[in-house]
Order: sequence, then structure tokens, then C-alpha cells
Amino acid sequence: MKMTEMKEKFKIALAQISCQQGDKKQNLKKIKEAVERSKNMGAELVILPEMSVTGYVIRDQVYELAERIPGPSTRALEDLAHEASVYIVFGMPEVSEKAQSALYNTAVIVGPEGLVGKYRKMYLPTHSVFEEKRYFRAGYQAAAFDTALGKLGLIICYDIYFPEVTRLLRLQGAKLFVCISASPGVRRTFFEALTVARAIENTAFLAYVNLAGIEDGLQFWGGSRLVSPSGKVLSQAKYDVDDLVLGEVDYSDIRPVEAFAPTLRDLRPELFDKLKEAAENL
Amino acid sequence: MKLTAALLDLDWTETESRIERFIRDYVENTGANGVVLGLSGGVDSCTVAALAARALGGSRVLGLMLPEKETAKSEDTEHSESVAEKFGFKTREIDITPALDEFHHSIPIFDPKDKVSDGNIKARTRMIILYYYANRMNMLVCGSSDKSETMMGYFTKWGDVAADISPTMDLYKTQVRKLAQHIGVPKTIAEKPSTPALWPGQLAESELGIKYELLDLILYGFEHFMPPDEIAGQLRIKPQSVQDVKNRWLSSEHKRRMLLPLKLGYRTIGTDFRLQRSPHEIDS
Repeated sequence: MKMTEMKEKFKIALAQISCQQGDKKQNLKKIKEAVERSKNMGAELVILPEMSVTGYVIRDQVYELAERIPGPSTRALEDLAHEASVYIVFGMPEVSEKAQSALYNTAVIVGPEGLVGKYRKMYLPTHSVFEEKRYFRAGYQAAAFDTALGKLGLIICYDIYFPEVTRLLRLQGAKLFVCISASPGVRRTFFEALTVARAIENTAFLAYVNLAGIEDGLQFWGGSRLVSPSGKVLSQAKYDVDDLVLGEVDYSDIRPVEAFAPTLRDLRPELFDKLKEAAENL
Repeated sequence: MKLTAALLDLDWTETESRIERFIRDYVENTGANGVVLGLSGGVDSCTVAALAARALGGSRVLGLMLPEKETAKSEDTEHSESVAEKFGFKTREIDITPALDEFHHSIPIFDPKDKVSDGNIKARTRMIILYYYANRMNMLVCGSSDKSETMMGYFTKWGDVAADISPTMDLYKTQVRKLAQHIGVPKTIAEKPSTPALWPGQLAESELGIKYELLDLILYGFEHFMPPDEIAGQLRIKPQSVQDVKNRWLSSEHKRRMLLPLKLGYRTIGTDFRLQRSPHEIDS
């Protein structure tokens, strides 16, 4: 997609759903309904939560549920994106073509033109109630994709705690970060702060879409939101329950913020080497 | 972190709604008709019964009052009934004394002087009746254990702790008392001294040797990875008192993880068979 065709202004749908654990058929049906509703409301990008194809708490069933990409689930959603002429971002467990043991927690973007790309989560929480490293291999690449809606940078949930990921995506040209998430209730205050911080420090839009509902004892708090480059919450979905809200991205809003708080102009690359050195010697 | 009672203050409206949603969600997903719970007239069971009634509607909640002759108190029955009336759920009273007598006669080594072993028979007899009702009526057993007593191992293994769902197990006792008042459980019940009622005159705080207000702060400290010395310093109590609580907490872990298989196979129950609670049949 050539950048000359890029839209400056468009609507996105934060499609906050709850999932049936391990029931792809049911979840894909729910995703389809959400996409169709979003399309009818005028959205050009529909975002679903992390692991929305399978649900988040699937434990050992991940071995049966993970698919290659492209695979049956991504093809079904490619067809849907094509028919509805929208972009869709969603999450699913991916299995490598080369090794059955290499599973990834992956975000996928499909659009009218087909499979646009995928991002494999780099930071896998394995503490508290999370056990992702037990199952998943961490990805190695930050991922920003050119689309008709501009360059989109994908991140997943815990990645948002690491500002270097969104910084890198921004430096690669992304002006809209899409963060898909499966965050349980007690972490709400962290995410509400971090979503605003990542947008402000990078003068970029950030769309955060969290899971809703309860899986085993984990209650996902929803609260999906679109944050402006100045940190304003432009749209906010309900807490805890399924919801679908629209928000508008207008890239021309970035310019005045960049002039007001020019964080990218003031970057100090020489610190990055120090950071690397210090992190290696933690 | 400064260990003060304020740390235990939650947003009670949100906590109530989270618990009710959990009960509703779990009952709906399992296709059960409702929940049955043991109703002692104490703050834990009255609060959980009230929350369940709000979550499901009172007609889908059955509180079983299961007294026995040694510990039965009319005040407890009155308290249970007053909460049932206020929150609109059903109750039924079953005297478990005859069942206990049968157990006593049937066990050749039964010794009435061993209060703990006998008390455990009471708690387990209640569990049997609760599960019988649950099976017959396609209901779930809803537990009302709290975090303080569960961490301290202050419960009967396979007895009062046995349940399909435990909606308040992550709330300390003082938090349950606050939640109780928030939802409108009468103050006399919310502030009533806790007892497992396994023998006459038994009181939780006397047996634990510590007030819940203090115990909950110590446990909160452990929950937040604080070293015992720091907890003792902050609360201005002897380090040994904190250590005693810690020992009791750690030594009762076996009561909270009840299955212990020996690993002999490729994948083992409770160890490396790691499945969600209600796994979905995956089409191949």
C-alpha cells in the first residue's frame, strides 16, 4: 500500500469481547459479529483482544489450539476483512512451521488486501497468575505495518510496560499503536497509566483493547480505550463486560502536540548504549 | 509500604459487583440451577449467601442450616433467618445430631475427648449434606471461607472448605466484615465473633491467639513479600508472633492443595496436566 493513499482520518472500533475458553468456533463467530457491527458503524479498523480466537486461559490446550499463520483462523478473518473492507487486529496462539514446540502469542492484522502481518509478543509475563513462558517462545521483532490507515505498530499487553517497544515502533514510523491485551482486574491502574504514558512520550495515538469476562478465577477488566497523542482518553469502553465503542484517529492532531512536547526531537541516542550496558549487568 | 488498616479498604461497590458477576458467570456457564451453601449465622456464610442471592436471585439460593446439639444456638438460627428474609433466599434446617451419633457408634476407636477429630466429623458431615443437595438439585456448593482462616489452615480439610466456588476466599476476615456492612448485613452479624462451632464455646480469635485486625495485617505483609522482621517492626509486635503466624501459614499448605499424587507417569494429575477448569472439547 503506497503511503500516498494513506488516510489521515478514520474511525476505529474497540471490540471488547469475552471469549469461550478453547472454543474457536464460538469466538470466531463473536469476532465476525463484532466486525460486522463495527463496519456498519463506520469503522475502518476493528481491534479485538489478545488471544481473542481462543480465550486467554487455555493452558495445555494451547498445543491443540495453536495454528500456523496463515492458517484456518487467519484465512477466515482475511475473508471477513476482505468482504467488509476493513482492517482487523486480533490475537491467537501461533505454532511455528518448523518446530511444534515453538508457540507464539501472536497479534495478527488482516485487511481488504489479505494478511498484512503478524507480531509475536516479545515480553511474556511469567509471574503472579501468568505462565506465558511455560508455553510460548518470545518474539524477536517489533512490528509496524504499512496500511491504508497509515503505519500501525502492534504490541501485546505486558509489552506496554517496556517503553522501548513503542519507542522503536514510533521511530519506524508508526503513529498509531495498537495494544491488544488480556489484563485481569487488579492491574487496571497500571494499564490506565501506561496507555496514557506511551501515547504522550511518543506523540502517537494508542488504541488499547482488553478482554472482558471471567476465565477460571481471572476477571478481565475491559476498559478498552483510544488515547490521543496528548494523553487524552478519546473513547472508553465499559469496565468488565463486552462492549464496542468507536473512536476517531486524526493524524493531523499529532502535529500540534509534537510542537508542544517535542519528545522525538529531544531523543538522546547516546543513552541507549548506556541502557544496554546497564541492562546487561543488572 | 506502611501496614495500616487502610490498606485493607477496597472499593466495596466494585468488590461486590466482581463477586456477584463471578457467581453468576460460573453458575450460568456450568448450567447449574443455583447454589447451596452452609449457613451458620456467622458473618462469612451470611455475607456469601446474601451476595449469591443478589447475583442469582433468592429463589436460586438455598442456605442449609446444619446445627447439632452441642453447639446449636438459637441466636445463630435467628441471624441466618433474618439475613435470608432480608435478601430473599431460601433456607432449610437439618439437625445433624443423629448422623453424628451414627458416626460415633460406627467408629470403633471413636473418643469424645478428642475434640478436634470429632469436630472434623461435624464439618465433613455438613459437607456431605451440602453435596447431596447440590447433586439432587443440580446446584453448586458455594463456599464461604475467607482468606485469613484459609491462610492459617483454620478449617477442616475436605470439610467446611469443600466447595465448587469460593467467592470470598481472597478477602481477609476484616474485609469480609466491611463488605458485609456495605451490602447491608446487620451489624450484629457483621461484627459477631467468629467460631467454627465444632465444640461449645469455641472462638476463632482465642484459638488463633490473635485478633483478626492484627492477623490480617501480618498476612497482608506476607502477601506483599514483606520480611517478618519488617512486619513486626511496623506493627510493634514481637518478631516471634509474626514468625508463629508464618509457620502456621506455611505448615498448612497441604490443606490448601489437597491432591498429592506421586509422579510416575508422563503427565501427572495436579502437577503437569495443566488444564483450565472446564476444558472445551476441541474438534480435530
